[in-house]
Amino acid sequence: MSKESKDLAAKAQWDSKRVLSLVVNNALMIIMIIAAIAIAIVNPNFVSASSIVNIISQTAAYLPAALGIAGCIVLTGTDLSAGRAVGLTACISASLLQVAGSASKMWPNIGTLPIPVVILIAMAIGAVIGAFNGFFVGKFKLHPFIVTLGTQLILYTILLLYVKMGNNGGMAISNLDESYNSFVKGSILPKIAGQTIPNYVIFAILLTALMWFIWNKTTFGKNMFALGSNEEAARVSGVNVLMTTIMVFSLAGAMYGFTGFIEGARIGSNTANTGLNYELDAIAACVIGGVSFVGGIGKISGIVIGVLMLRLIFIGLTMANINQDLQYLIKGGIILFACALDMRKYLVKK
Amino acid sequence: MKLKKVLALVLALAMVLALAACGGDDKKPDGDQPSNGSQTGEPSTPSEPSEPSGSGADVSSLNVGVFYYNYSDVYISTVRAELDKQLDSLGVKYTDYDGNTTQSTQMDQVNTAITNGANLLIVNIVENSSPDAAQNVINAAKEKDIPVIFFNRDFDKSAINSYEKCAFVGTDPAEAGHMQGKMIADYLLANYEATDLNGDGAISYVMFKGQEGNVEAEYRTQFSVEDANTQLTGAGKKELTYYAGDSAATKYLVDPNGAWSSAAATNYMDTVLAEYSEGNNNMVELVICNNDDMAMGAISSLQTAGYNNGSGKTIPVFGVDAVQNAKDAIAAGSMTGTVAQDAVGMASSIVKLLNNFVADGNLMSNTDGMVVDGDSAKIRVPYAAYLG
Repeated sequence: MSKESKDLAAKAQWDSKRVLSLVVNNALMIIMIIAAIAIAIVNPNFVSASSIVNIISQTAAYLPAALGIAGCIVLTGTDLSAGRAVGLTACISASLLQVAGSASKMWPNIGTLPIPVVILIAMAIGAVIGAFNGFFVGKFKLHPFIVTLGTQLILYTILLLYVKMGNNGGMAISNLDESYNSFVKGSILPKIAGQTIPNYVIFAILLTALMWFIWNKTTFGKNMFALGSNEEAARVSGVNVLMTTIMVFSLAGAMYGFTGFIEGARIGSNTANTGLNYELDAIAACVIGGVSFVGGIGKISGIVIGVLMLRLIFIGLTMANINQDLQYLIKGGIILFACALDMRKYLVKK
Repeated sequence: MKLKKVLALVLALAMVLALAACGGDDKKPDGDQPSNGSQTGEPSTPSEPSEPSGSGADVSSLNVGVFYYNYSDVYISTVRAELDKQLDSLGVKYTDYDGNTTQSTQMDQVNTAITNGANLLIVNIVENSSPDAAQNVINAAKEKDIPVIFFNRDFDKSAINSYEKCAFVGTDPAEAGHMQGKMIADYLLANYEATDLNGDGAISYVMFKGQEGNVEAEYRTQFSVEDANTQLTGAGKKELTYYAGDSAATKYLVDPNGAWSSAAATNYMDTVLAEYSEGNNNMVELVICNNDDMAMGAISSLQTAGYNNGSGKTIPVFGVDAVQNAKDAIAAGSMTGTVAQDAVGMASSIVKLLNNFVADGNLMSNTDGMVVDGDSAKIRVPYAAYLG
């Protein structure tokens, strides 16, 4: 390299430094926008009203589980039991809300329960699962990866046994009551640009607001971040480590329960397979959205972007008619890129 | 010594599990055959596994290992429920295993069962795209002279032909596709105008594939469309057109987890319907699914969009398996047709082979009323069209 070009490069670098840091700090958003534009050029329908509603709906369906799991990641943990918890609560919700009197009703002696009761049951079951995880993590100082690896397997057995109970005999649980379908998939909002927005989008927005409040405005939320950044410091400053851990995990569990309740109706046919790999998508969404495995770092808005990003990949590739084999490559690439970016920011801070 | 402690713990755990497994087996009714009443109570002493190969062996001397590829598969669950029932009523001692879609897990289970004294194997092989996995099971069985009955997931006949004490009970993997194709063409020819929503003279379809590299999935995906096209063009109609046009990378959407799941179908169908609608005059007019679970997922999405609610407009949806909720959906008018995979027939064919073996040591000695391949010991349980 000649001297002039070196100088030139140095100058250019200095000039563009600010731009560069701006680009790097918002790289994910920029990539997302570029990708969206590229897909929209290949297939203009991608930005049609119905397509945008579809992207929002699918994001809404996967959002609650990601919001839950993010808390576990903030505690430098993770939760592998999320998928099976979603599956179990989906099957339970569906089985309690089948059309009364149908031949394939799982529990013929229980009528169709009121919906709020079923939501409470699903969320309570999720919360109990979470509390179980949290107890082992907090009490025995086991890494959440190990604990939830265990509970995930335990839950699968419960799920396999559950779908064989009652009248069901291992079949898919469907034939859902109309009240359940319309509560989840129906719409109370007026049509926007001729598109119906399903109710579960509203639930996701409410849950996001609730989680934002919990994370940012409550003592519990502050304790969670304190615990995630530095356990010893948190303990010394009077945070009840065990209680906070249990609460973070049960809050996550309650979110899985709610996801299960939504998925039960959204998918309409629930088997022991329901919820498979949901935790991986949720974890991926969180890390893409900047919830760091280093602990104590994460924003609700980041999680929403992470989930949206994953759905964009799924929907975009389908609509651009790209070979689906590439989907995993793109997902993997983005996860690595996002985490590397994240660590870079963290290292700079250090 | 720490290692010793761990070892002791592992052994204790293994014992507990073994006990639990035995406990499960003891549940079977020892009613109709008083001779085996004394046998059932006994712990499973690993008797010489090669013993019962001769003729005239007693049913109660059997120790059967049944290996399923995946407990969470709905159709396989029905076969399992039926097979458990039939084995129970025969008074056969058996143990079920879940391969959990992993071939190495299943192979470990087979080896463990053989060392534990299993003297007849019933195997729903996980990996069937090549006969190697089945060959491994056969080799392990051959060493101890144990008969093997494979079922449901088909593989190349070379493995079956390599061992005389082995047979396969399944379906003809191409048949479901052919049957689905015929059913689709029949339906379309009877309802062409009503199905062709945009009146362009061609029916656009979407295809949901369960898994890549699975024989059944490949054939169903291929033949359902091919056969329907042949029949349609024969009747002077246009061929089916793929909803995304001929430029699409693949003419199907496949479950990313390879799990044939309804969730994948719902997500895809939502995405498809966001782009293709009656408003855009390009609505998908036909949905073909590799199995009923995916069909149910697609229907859930269609219902959200205001179709297939029993009344009003219905997009024809076709599946395979005829599981109970698909039958319910067909009765309710939200689904059009499916191909019945006979779970009871599958289970009773397996049990028939087992009885053959008990009678004279030859699995295939009595195959009256069964469809057998000409060149190997493969029994084909016929499919049946189910339109409600």
